[in-house]
Amino acid sequence: MQNLKRLLFLLCLLAPAWAFTQVSVSGTVVDLENNPIQGASVRLKNANLGTTTDADGKFSMTLAGKGGTLEVSFIGFKSQTITASSDMANLVIKMQEDVGHLEEVVITGLASSIKRGNLAHAVGVVSAKQLAGTTSQPTVDAALYGKFTGANIISNSGAPGGGISIKLRGITSLVGNSQPLFIVDGVYYDNSSIQGGLNFVSKAAGQGSTNFQDNPSNRVADLDPEDIERIEILKGASTAAIYGARAAAGVVIITTKKGKTGKPKIELGQWVGWQMQLNKLGQRTWDTAKVRAAYGASGITVYNANGGQIYDYEDELYGNKGFLSNTRVSVSGGNENTSYYAGMSYRDDEGIVKNTGYRKTSFRLNLDQKITKFLDLSLNSNYVESSADRGFFNNDNTSTTLGVSFVSTPSWVNLYPDANGNYPNNPLAPSNFIQTRDLITNNEQVNRILLGGRATLKLVNTNIHDLRLVALGGLDNYTLNTNAIFPAILQFQKDGNGTNGALIYGTTVARNSNISALVVYDFKPADNISFTTQAGINTFKVDINTAVNTATQLIGTQTNIDQAGALQAEQTKNISRDKGFFVQEEFNFQDKLIATLGLRGDKSSRNGDADKLYYYPKASLAINILPFTSLKTFSQLKLRGAYGESGNFAPFGAIYTSLVPLNFGGTTGSIVDLTRGAENLEPEQQKELELGFDAGILNERVGLAFTWYKKDVEDLILKVITSGSSGFSNAWRNVAEIQNKGVEIALTAVPVANKDWRWNMQANWWKNKAKVTRLDVPAFNVGAFGATLGTYRIELGKSPTQLVGIGDSAIDKVDPVSKLAVFGNAEPDFNLSFYNNVTWRNFELSVLMHWKKGGDNINLTTLLSDIFATSYDYDDKSLDPKGEMTNGEYRLSILGATARPWIQDASYFRVREIGLNYTLPGAWFRDVARVKIGFSGRNLINVFDYPSYDPEVSNFGIDAISSNVEVTPFPSAKSFYFNLSVTF
Amino acid sequence: MKYQNKIYRIISLLLLLITLGWSSCTVDPIADPNNPSTSSISQNASLGELQNLVTGIEGGMRNNLNNYYDAISVIGREYYRFSTSDPRLTSDLLGKANATLDNNTFYTTNPFNARYRVVKNANILITALQNTRATITEDQRRAAIAYAKTVMAHELLMVFNQQYENGIRVDVADPDRLGPFLSKDESLNAIQALLNEASADLKGNTADLPFTTTLYNKKASEFAKFNRALAARVAVYRRDWNLANIALTESFFDLNGSLTDGAYYVFSTAGGDLLNPVFFPQNSPPAEARVVQPTFITNAEAGDTRLSKAPKRTSTASQDGLTSDYDFFVYPTNVTRMPIIRNEELILLYAEVQAQLNNSSNAVSAINRIRNAASLGNYTGATDVNSLITEILKQRRYSLFGEGHRWVDMRRYNRLNELPIDRPGDDVWVQFPRPATES
Repeated sequence: MQNLKRLLFLLCLLAPAWAFTQVSVSGTVVDLENNPIQGASVRLKNANLGTTTDADGKFSMTLAGKGGTLEVSFIGFKSQTITASSDMANLVIKMQEDVGHLEEVVITGLASSIKRGNLAHAVGVVSAKQLAGTTSQPTVDAALYGKFTGANIISNSGAPGGGISIKLRGITSLVGNSQPLFIVDGVYYDNSSIQGGLNFVSKAAGQGSTNFQDNPSNRVADLDPEDIERIEILKGASTAAIYGARAAAGVVIITTKKGKTGKPKIELGQWVGWQMQLNKLGQRTWDTAKVRAAYGASGITVYNANGGQIYDYEDELYGNKGFLSNTRVSVSGGNENTSYYAGMSYRDDEGIVKNTGYRKTSFRLNLDQKITKFLDLSLNSNYVESSADRGFFNNDNTSTTLGVSFVSTPSWVNLYPDANGNYPNNPLAPSNFIQTRDLITNNEQVNRILLGGRATLKLVNTNIHDLRLVALGGLDNYTLNTNAIFPAILQFQKDGNGTNGALIYGTTVARNSNISALVVYDFKPADNISFTTQAGINTFKVDINTAVNTATQLIGTQTNIDQAGALQAEQTKNISRDKGFFVQEEFNFQDKLIATLGLRGDKSSRNGDADKLYYYPKASLAINILPFTSLKTFSQLKLRGAYGESGNFAPFGAIYTSLVPLNFGGTTGSIVDLTRGAENLEPEQQKELELGFDAGILNERVGLAFTWYKKDVEDLILKVITSGSSGFSNAWRNVAEIQNKGVEIALTAVPVANKDWRWNMQANWWKNKAKVTRLDVPAFNVGAFGATLGTYRIELGKSPTQLVGIGDSAIDKVDPVSKLAVFGNAEPDFNLSFYNNVTWRNFELSVLMHWKKGGDNINLTTLLSDIFATSYDYDDKSLDPKGEMTNGEYRLSILGATARPWIQDASYFRVREIGLNYTLPGAWFRDVARVKIGFSGRNLINVFDYPSYDPEVSNFGIDAISSNVEVTPFPSAKSFYFNLSVTF
Repeated sequence: MKYQNKIYRIISLLLLLITLGWSSCTVDPIADPNNPSTSSISQNASLGELQNLVTGIEGGMRNNLNNYYDAISVIGREYYRFSTSDPRLTSDLLGKANATLDNNTFYTTNPFNARYRVVKNANILITALQNTRATITEDQRRAAIAYAKTVMAHELLMVFNQQYENGIRVDVADPDRLGPFLSKDESLNAIQALLNEASADLKGNTADLPFTTTLYNKKASEFAKFNRALAARVAVYRRDWNLANIALTESFFDLNGSLTDGAYYVFSTAGGDLLNPVFFPQNSPPAEARVVQPTFITNAEAGDTRLSKAPKRTSTASQDGLTSDYDFFVYPTNVTRMPIIRNEELILLYAEVQAQLNNSSNAVSAINRIRNAASLGNYTGATDVNSLITEILKQRRYSLFGEGHRWVDMRRYNRLNELPIDRPGDDVWVQFPRPATES
């Protein structure tokens, strides 16, 4: 107590001395056009003292002692330093735009970041503006394609609510996870794709392919794109190594918006729009002769009974003008100690098929609080509720999905209900798709809570030393209800067809959490030399529990699973625990030489030996060579190289040798599974080397980033056929290796920038080539539906995405041993995307164009349409080399002889996004509000030869191999939006 | 400098904390959350889990029986298996033109794998029985292990029937160190030895098996009779007539008893259960049908009631150059049980053993027991061994029609060349190739 009093007394004595030696500084921060910049940071260099500018760009602060160097910074502008050694008032600080984004901060460790200009790897960054600034985006993943290099993103179908497959830099796994890891504000964000159990009705898995084809959405769809501040994409192990055992398919780091110091900013936004079928195919025209040829006498009866009337079923099924609306409110603000961001949005999208649609409500609250001088807290919370009615599409073996039923019904069959609302049976197919569309339910409903927190404790903070302790963690909990109702009245459920109705009620409860603790130590022994050391530990817990109940023999129109004659239940759990540590050392020498060394070690219960540590090292080096040269035109010249390793687990359950249930005379027994688990299974290991250079000229008005990478995925896991005398038919093994090599070029430019005009452009070009470099088992076919119709084939020395099939040796190049011919490759030859943003006074135009060259699909919509003689081009004569047969006849005539007709070029050019906005003159609203109106669209222009709804399609969803297969999907849509936003 | 020391102290402290924190970071393995694992059940199985393994064994014994019976009945020229979806059933199996048996397709690999899968389950059951702390008596444990060995021997015998001269693996307990392929004789000897080991623990053992079984009887001393019946069959295959003779007396063989007494595969329509895998309704369309090889009808003696197993079709069935007017209709419903071994076979085994031991009168009385049951008069032919064997093989053909014997019987008496050839160029195979996955 005595001591404390003395101390206080001493402080009082010293106070006047402070007052005497202090420097007060005030001023305004403006851009080159003298517009004030709000929220710019003004900080005393090497000290924990700073402020931010107000709405008028003004700031003032008092510096103790003899003043110091002030650093003024704001996102998008180059930072400036001002030496303040005496009082300064009314300073005007003109900020120069950071055209090349060299000062933008990019996350490189788990708690450290680096200036973009110093990065040692090619960066994939998508800003809020690029992500959702052009047009309204239903899901985050759908909004990514074309916005950075190195990705192959496929929208699995046009069904509302998403379903996107993202592959970064080629194939990284054959049977394991192929989708990147999503991290949102430090929280591991579950992106599961959970099958709703529709297979019970469609029986899609069984003949030809054992994989489910329920067309589920994936859970990253739950994020609201409008809440996102920026996205960084770590495309391979060289950058993602610090995320270790789960990072082989890449990592997508999402940062959500935060409040900025200043008065509250309120943004209101309203979008309304419509969506419609992207590519109408048209229908075959019919006459009596064609009907007889295709459907015989029974067809003629139907045709005549109906007076030869033709119905436009394509318009009926896919012609709905889906109304789209999105309402958004966000409020953000803060003071020196607290900042907040609250975002709310409500989206209601109607699909292009009646009774389909997507509704999502999202609430987010992000809070940042400085508790004391040395303790910062931040908290992110997000609640999402969504509901997607996805229709009933894709492959089946029962002719019941809307898609299959549609192509198997000629347009002269009347499927419309009578005056009493009774639907006729489809006389030519097992289901009436109008009845199915009107009466079934296939709904996915999600309630999701995401909580993330971060505490930063500053232990030491001086000019030379900065030591922080960071603890961060998060919870990701959701409940997914899948509810499929097939009433007993449906043609394929009643009268002994089917099971007299089916209810498929699934519940998935996911509880995932992660916690990390780390120490970050910045050491600056001299000016412009710095060491950043970080070390920490990390745990990650996954607990996903799915139960699916299938009820059949329904009572009346009841939709409770107990109102049924038979009930079947199935449950799958996915539980795992990971623990890991990481250390990383970054060294920066005068911004000329930036080196990083890191190591991550991970243990996981997903590995056969749960307690074994697997190590994932990384190293990178960037050399800014510009200072060593006398080149005047260049503003940046940097060589960079990075190497890293990361892992991927075997599919869940592969380490277990299980006993599976077996029914016998009404009791249940246990028998060894056909597949032998492998307790000693090693995780898949990826090793990536990336080299490149970044160059900028004319003060970064033009920038070029060139990157070459080589990515070897070793110890790839496969289920291989094993000696049957062991008691098992298959076993999991590490048997293969794939090499991906690719080139990525990103060109950015600001061709015009003056008072009225500004044009930003970004062109991305990328390509990837993959090759199987090790295969311990004989070459085998995988994916799709077998060699007759085209399949993938894993073969040593060949691309893992090659598409092969049986061939006609007279025309096709048939391999004499395998009897198969190569007809294509799912991998594109290259991708080219071109983003432009032009502003003229208050107008702003953004256009994103994307050209995917090459890459083939296995299109079985064509096959099914041909079999039922409904193909729109059935009667054209463009395929038969002899010019005799029509296209439909020709394709069918070679069915079974060659798979050639079904493997088709899926190149496309499309204007993915276009948006035109006009900001109304501020004076109209007395400068209180900023009001913007606009018009925008997605996929408005599409150019492709691919003879179906959309070359971007995947019947098998996110499967590692076997995307690029089409079987009567939910067709894609194009959409228009009008929007109005008001900012206070 | 002092200040620096402080920093270094803090850093070392933090590093120490992290190291300590890390060292306590063990990750415990997580047991399979979706299924029982083989390792946990092997360590300490409850009575319920033992029962589950047994149910798994008996249910699993029925897997792929269709491919097994079709393969050997078609080669044994008992019936044709017509299938438009798989022409190999009429080409490969009958050796049409240049067609041969494939070492990597369903008729070779599927039955092979299915039988070894049951063997695996039986091996797991044995380990589970050795380690279980459930309340079972030592006698029960012995009896239960003997049960597992008996089942294993039966499954191995089925593999052997297809593999014959290729031999089989008998020691398959460790999937990483599979035992060698034994020669044909060694294979049969090993199966016999397995049955005899089991028999030693069953005979005179008054305990009940610690689980219920659908195979013959739950009482160990009774189950021994099933074991001995199989032993008699194996002994006959090995031409060990004395052992066969003793085994028959210890089995459920009863010259005057019911011909259908025995052990069976059972089927039901209960959810998820299997139906009789070789059942087709009468007059099934030829696209998917089993129809009788015509000589079965033409070679029959007049009045043989066993022809009821081959009723006439309402229309002729043809495919791939093969024709028949008769359905294979041994099992009248889709849940009719299928014999594993039954008294009718034992009586015929007894006849064969007695003939081979030159007790022709015993042999003839057994033959007559069978003939009379089929409404045929007594045997009047010669009573030398060769004639008797010919008659016994004929009775076996009709009594055990479609039960997986004809091909095996003709093979062990080197009479495969007597089997009828339907199309010029067809072949009668001696055995199936060893599955490609075994090399």
